[in-house]
Amino acid sequence: RLSISSDIISTVEFNHTGELLATGDKGGRVVIFQREPESKNEPYNQGEYNVYSTFQSHEPEFDYLKSLEIEEKINKIKWLPQQNAAHSLLSTNDKTIKLWKVTERDKRPEGYNLKDEEGKLKDLSTVTSLQVPVLKPMDLMVEVTPRRIFANGHTYHVNSISVNSDCETYMSADDLRINLWHLAITDRSFNIVDIKPANMEDLTEVITASEFHPHHCNLFVYSSSKGSLRLCDMRASALCDKHSKLFEEPEDPSNRSFFSEIISSVSDVKFSHSGRYMLTRDYLTVKVWDLNMETKPIETYQVHDYLRSKLCSLYENDCIFDKFECAWNGSDSVIMTGAYNNFFRMFDRNTKRDVTLEASRESSKPRAILKPRRVCVGGKRRKDDISVDSLDFTKKILHTAWHPTENIIAIAATNNLYIFQDKVNSEMH
Amino acid sequence: MEFRLEAHRIVSISLGKIYSARGQRGGLKLHKNLLVSLVLRSARRVYLGEPGGECGLPPRPRDPPPPDCERLRRGGYRPLGSEAAARGRVECPAESPRKRSAVERGQAAGSPGKKPRREAEPSPPQEDMETGNVASLISIFGSSFSGLLGKERGAAEASEPGQVCCEQPVLRSLNPWSTAIVAF
Repeated sequence: RLSISSDIISTVEFNHTGELLATGDKGGRVVIFQREPESKNEPYNQGEYNVYSTFQSHEPEFDYLKSLEIEEKINKIKWLPQQNAAHSLLSTNDKTIKLWKVTERDKRPEGYNLKDEEGKLKDLSTVTSLQVPVLKPMDLMVEVTPRRIFANGHTYHVNSISVNSDCETYMSADDLRINLWHLAITDRSFNIVDIKPANMEDLTEVITASEFHPHHCNLFVYSSSKGSLRLCDMRASALCDKHSKLFEEPEDPSNRSFFSEIISSVSDVKFSHSGRYMLTRDYLTVKVWDLNMETKPIETYQVHDYLRSKLCSLYENDCIFDKFECAWNGSDSVIMTGAYNNFFRMFDRNTKRDVTLEASRESSKPRAILKPRRVCVGGKRRKDDISVDSLDFTKKILHTAWHPTENIIAIAATNNLYIFQDKVNSEMH
Repeated sequence: MEFRLEAHRIVSISLGKIYSARGQRGGLKLHKNLLVSLVLRSARRVYLGEPGGECGLPPRPRDPPPPDCERLRRGGYRPLGSEAAARGRVECPAESPRKRSAVERGQAAGSPGKKPRREAEPSPPQEDMETGNVASLISIFGSSFSGLLGKERGAAEASEPGQVCCEQPVLRSLNPWSTAIVAF
């Protein structure tokens, strides 16, 4: 199958019920999948996701003042909590955030008195009686309309957006600044974090990700390229340059190399559903932090430590700059993140067991069971093990998402989307 | 000494990344370029033997060498830190004996084709050219982020290898890239 680079999936996000799944791609398109309701008539179609709507969210733009092209790639999508029959989501590229409203139309009025079926005015002499128009069913039409465009808020590249639990505001973060927006107001935003130094020569650190606390609307966290997390309280001051808490683990001196700084850069941060913990991803590990302990993470999991001796090559081929995301399951007991060779990893926090799985066409026939994979690093080699040197670094799983309540995961492997369901263990443990 | 070669390789790779970043669609990626400049700065310090260069990278325990930078190993060079480990202790004097004065740096940069002052080691001829080129570029760097990127503008104007691009004090004051970043 010919692969087109504009098809590369750049973000994946379930909505709050898990009924809808949105993906954004490098070509600025958003595709929304909807889960089929389970029905007795077609038991095998239970809970499968089918395409619900596709639309072009962003187009490439040109900034004439700076002579720069602005990529249309969708960096992040976030769903708003549903407040009426319509669904709403925010999508962003490097510069502009857009609010989209997704509505369904499955009925249309028929039997107008003055207009005919095609909308043309009737000849009044033919109208002899009055009728009341009735709603008749029609084929489902999904309409997506842009409701707000939040432009000109960012000088640098937007890396994250996060909707506040108050459902009225959201924040957007770029490399150096974080802005707070009201969902209904597009011509103003409040700058709440600014780490741009007076002299750009003194720049040592950038913002890499940010997220609102799931329950406390005044709290948010942002991560940095130096590997630290800052928890900020918007009630403390208008400009949250002073953090309430700084989460940072001292560097292990025995692991120091030229690339220590790069691999400690946090590429993603996610609050747990409970709001008690934070999950971070850096190049080689995922870490769980307790909001009550700033000195070090409470858990650290090695994603692919066998790459530690290959950092120079990974620097050369740019893989060391890959930004992997991480995800919690609904009960915060399992964490998931992607790796290379279309592998993704899951870590069970309770049993301390971990598994490596592969997202590929061969392993993903419908209703097939995923076989755990293993990367061998010397020593005993089992059948079906993959050696480190035969890993395909062009096949990277950067974006993954976990259904909010069930054991359903969405894995983006370049331009393919895989959705895996754990039918046996549907309920969260 | 051998770790200077790894540092040198990393410097060349980093320079290549900074060059190619210019034409990238979507504009300068601040995060990636910052990380590259930090790596470049560390590698440069080690390469020039500046104080804090080696000290920033403590000697590794005497394990089998990591399978990294394969080319260097094939050439018989020991990996980073092993020489320091062999010495037993890294001394971090305030002034490294190998630190070159600004004058010497200028002289090294000003002599195209002349090898930079280094302990002798066999290197293939094509690496000589690359080394000379890189050494003269390194000597132009300021230690700051913009100094790093300021070199790029100077280097672009002088495309021939080995040619003096610019003298350090002059380039520092130009800072064309730092202006570009602020405007960006």
